[in-house]
Amino acid sequence: MIFHLDTSTTLPLGVVLLKKRVDATNSIELQKAFAQWLQQTNNFVFDCTELDFIDSSGLGAIVSCLRKALEHHGDVKLAALGPKVAMVFELTKAKKLFSIFSECSEAIQSFVTVSTT
Amino acid sequence: MKTLLVIKKQEYEWLIDLFPGVHPLLVPICNKPFIEFLVDFAILAGSNALRIVSDGVLEDVEHYCENGSRWGVEISYGSMRPADDTHTVIEKNRRFCLEERVIIISGFLFIRYNKKSEYASLFASLPSGELLSCPNGSISLTGTSTTKTGTPGTLPFSLAALDSIGKYYELSMEILSTGLTHYVIPGYSSEENCYIGRNVVIPKSAEIIKPVIIGNNVQIMTNSIIDKNSVIGSNVIIDRESVISGSIVIDNTYIGEHLEVKNKIAAGNLLIDPQSGTSIVMEDPHLLTTMTQSRVAGALLRRIVHAVGATFLIVLQLLPWLLLRPILGMQGKWKRKREQHYTGLPGKNVTLTNTTIEGTGAASAFAKALSLDRFTLLFNVLIGKLALIGNLPLPVTPAIRRLPNSHEGYRPAVFSYAEAEEWPEIGIDAEIVEHYYAVHSDPLKDIAMTQKALFHRTH
Repeated sequence: MIFHLDTSTTLPLGVVLLKKRVDATNSIELQKAFAQWLQQTNNFVFDCTELDFIDSSGLGAIVSCLRKALEHHGDVKLAALGPKVAMVFELTKAKKLFSIFSECSEAIQSFVTVSTT
Repeated sequence: MKTLLVIKKQEYEWLIDLFPGVHPLLVPICNKPFIEFLVDFAILAGSNALRIVSDGVLEDVEHYCENGSRWGVEISYGSMRPADDTHTVIEKNRRFCLEERVIIISGFLFIRYNKKSEYASLFASLPSGELLSCPNGSISLTGTSTTKTGTPGTLPFSLAALDSIGKYYELSMEILSTGLTHYVIPGYSSEENCYIGRNVVIPKSAEIIKPVIIGNNVQIMTNSIIDKNSVIGSNVIIDRESVISGSIVIDNTYIGEHLEVKNKIAAGNLLIDPQSGTSIVMEDPHLLTTMTQSRVAGALLRRIVHAVGATFLIVLQLLPWLLLRPILGMQGKWKRKREQHYTGLPGKNVTLTNTTIEGTGAASAFAKALSLDRFTLLFNVLIGKLALIGNLPLPVTPAIRRLPNSHEGYRPAVFSYAEAEEWPEIGIDAEIVEHYYAVHSDPLKDIAMTQKALFHRTH
């Protein structure tokens, strides 16, 4: 999977649409791409609407993205987790690390709310 | 009094995929096989004989229950057609149903009862006909009462349909929280709402919060928490710092470390959310992904690199092998054994000659240091039967008739990643390390790992 950053929201944040699987085969790719995206913005929404499967490598990559974003005084928020992906986040306690929203728009809006307060 | 159990396959087959390898009638509810609850109820109701009739295969149930001598009741088995109704089943089992009154339990349902209640005299006095029913089945009675006929008012038992994983979970939680004293639950109970089986290891740092049921041969590792409303089956390992809360862990399940299993059912490598029915597969303790076949080009490059590496080693080892092989052979220290091994391809095996160098003499030590015992295996790399580094070849034995699922991504090789990392060469540790490198290695890393394996075998 090729990861894309969408910065067309007119807000200082990027939306990443994760598709199908984030696993051992593409987790390093995600981390590399994220390092480049950090030069553009430090706030991210990972839209998981189309994400079907995540394994420990993928989870590690997303947590690594969060850590890097926090180091740059930003954040990674997750949106629209499917039931299977949500179960992995719950099982591994990773859901406690992230702000998770049911809709992508809510996650984007949360950045607006934070920046205006 | 006798009891006839009529259970159709279509009523329980939803359980087959959720608990593979366990017959649905033997699926544990609070660590007690489902069928045992029915047997207990039949005995409490005064039955001296029980007949289990189904259109499904009952071999496992028959193997488990045998003739019922364990419970002091005579258990027999019968078959039926899927289209047969209860009346037809009674007709087909006329001999069993003839002489005495018969309780007919029809359908895949759970009977809520209380072992302290008096059922034998109750059933003897009840009139024939249907006593209770639910969407999944019913309980009825045949024959005429032996005592004064009573009126079926509020019966001291009720039925619960078992037709979804959600119902199964709810029922287990209901028994655990309110009905533990109503049933005979396996395990030792020195205090209320806590049943613990044999050979359970609980470290001081682990926390157990009632109500809880723990089966036999369970290891709970340090700093783990078994929170209230949890059922832990037999042969279970809860690894360190994991939390089990409001969950059912079925027999033979491993829960990895630092995990939180809350309101779920864990069965083998399957984790099920009983509310939504969603399930995920925990591929290994680290939730690693299922192996995906590497691209053809990548596989070809790996094969070429491995062949070059093998050729280099053959050239390096040839002269020492030619010198030491005859010497060790004459000393009886060069042992060879031909064995069939799995190739990783379904139905295809490879015969390998495994060499063992015995003794502690100078020649033996030198041969071991040069890994000459692997010399002949290197030629299998050239013809593509083995990789240079990968998994330790798994021998075909009567006990392991096919490659286990845990060996997905298996690539038999001359040297193993576990050897390179100085991990134990067999067992779950080796599987984890080999699984990891199967995903993360590349041809160049393989050469480096081969060097490490050679070095570690020497020292």
